[in-house]
Amino acid sequence: MIVVQLFINGIIAGSIYALVAVGFSLIYSTNRFVHLAHGGFVAVGAYLLYLFFTLFGLNFYISAILAIIVSGFLGWLVYTLVYIPLKKRKASNAVLLIASVGLLILLENLMLLIFGADIKTIKYIQIRKGIEIFGGVITPLQIVIVVLTGILLLLLWIFMKKSHLGKTMRAVADNVDLANIIGINAKKICYLSFIIGTALAGIAGILVALEQNIEPSMGTGLIIKGFTGAIIGGIGSVPGSILGSYLLGLVENFGIWFLPSGYKDAIAFSLLFIFLLFKPAGILGSKGKYEEPKI
Amino acid sequence: MIEAYLIHLLIIIGIYIILAVSLNLAIGYTGLLNLGHIAFFGIGAYVSALLSVNTKLPFLLIFIVAGFLASIFGYILMAATNKLKGDYLALATLGFNFVIYSLFLNWTSLTRGPLGIPGIPRPSIFGLIIQSNFAYLTFVAIVCCLSVGFLYLLVKSPYGTLLQATRDNELACKVLGKNTFKIKWQALAVSAFFAGIAGSLYAHYITFIDPSSFSLYEIILILTIVLIGGLASLKGSIIATIIILLIPEILRFLALPSSILGPTRQIIYALILILILMFRPRGLFGKVDLN
Repeated sequence: MIVVQLFINGIIAGSIYALVAVGFSLIYSTNRFVHLAHGGFVAVGAYLLYLFFTLFGLNFYISAILAIIVSGFLGWLVYTLVYIPLKKRKASNAVLLIASVGLLILLENLMLLIFGADIKTIKYIQIRKGIEIFGGVITPLQIVIVVLTGILLLLLWIFMKKSHLGKTMRAVADNVDLANIIGINAKKICYLSFIIGTALAGIAGILVALEQNIEPSMGTGLIIKGFTGAIIGGIGSVPGSILGSYLLGLVENFGIWFLPSGYKDAIAFSLLFIFLLFKPAGILGSKGKYEEPKI
Repeated sequence: MIEAYLIHLLIIIGIYIILAVSLNLAIGYTGLLNLGHIAFFGIGAYVSALLSVNTKLPFLLIFIVAGFLASIFGYILMAATNKLKGDYLALATLGFNFVIYSLFLNWTSLTRGPLGIPGIPRPSIFGLIIQSNFAYLTFVAIVCCLSVGFLYLLVKSPYGTLLQATRDNELACKVLGKNTFKIKWQALAVSAFFAGIAGSLYAHYITFIDPSSFSLYEIILILTIVLIGGLASLKGSIIATIIILLIPEILRFLALPSSILGPTRQIIYALILILILMFRPRGLFGKVDLN
């Protein structure tokens, strides 16, 4: 059954895009700038896992936790060294975007310099023969990825809805001025959400590393898909970005029914383009959240 | 030996000066934050390469066609993104770049995909074949001077003032009865035209092109050049091209292996870009801020 197989492939791809997109969109929702270097941090997360698990030979779970902590720390470092000074200068969003592209290239080439260009793999969960579901094939590893992503996204949703910090973050995302008036330290919340977002990139990197090969340029490919998913769903909305990512995964995979598989990326960008033109706020983003830059 | 190396460097610098000044026309003078400039460069290179390998058309015609096709894409991009501003425009143009890149990579029946197009002939103009690198340098220098001269006259003309007015206050221009969409697409089409002919020059010089010559790295390089030189300053772009392209050449004398040389070069560019945004956003000779 080709439909089932394409659906399964779409969900697997969508899970990975969603992992990248949530952190990206969490950062955007409070900080209001496009942090394309987020993809670089996903690659950093994957390489950190490789460093601790394969090179140092640590226990897998300890390696994973270390990788997440170090990712979060690096996020803090980049935010303090680059973004805070730029924000202090009142740099426009476009400047921050260009700086983030610079950071993406910087991270990618640092990985290349440190770890070399050859492809790395993490052999923690062995690839086994796939299981058949309604005529489609899915490997146990892919089931693990899809389920873990689901649990993680659910936890994040509960965190954003129920916890005090999550509520504060949503308040800042909604209206910075109002949040400041009622005594929320918006700057601190921006800081915290950047660090949490980068730690999420680390987690994404770990899960991606289990399924795919690790290579320095992986971050660019992933962030393109992640931010496409985020824009489709509504860039400042975390649930929107999750929805958009799964939608992107499905559209891409059903698209290769009609076009050669090499066109997956072109399908994704065309979708991105259509949304940027006709509905820049995305599916779940409210009209008010897409702010016209001041003239 | 050293002469051949210098000639090669000068040819590359000449091509990048055309790219940089034309991008400055879009970003600096017209205020269109276009991150898709390399796509126009690539379109020019591919059109020129495909036409000269597959047809017997004269070089000068191919050269002009490469520029015009790129400028048609410039019009399409502007028509599509007219409503967008600031970081949304930057994202859309970056997306445009990725679409074109993936077309180069995947439209294998036309572009041969990752294999690239080898054996692009050196140009011949009215029977005169530009074979040696020195002759090619002369040709690049002439095209470069003409391009810079044209853009200089353009930005100094009343039309150039109109471009800058559109950048500074689009609404006010509309109030005065100016068709700002027309002004913007014209500026982007001119900018794309020069990127296209720069692509053609590049393709016929290297005689081989593949998609990797038109990747995200090239965008960073050209953006760094324009930002260092300063927005709305042609002089700045020219000087910055020379500085930025010469910096990594110093590394060559350290005799580093190529596996270190490549990434180091990109790290230097990325660092320069971030530092210039942080500490001197107006660049060397910039007249306006990036918005």
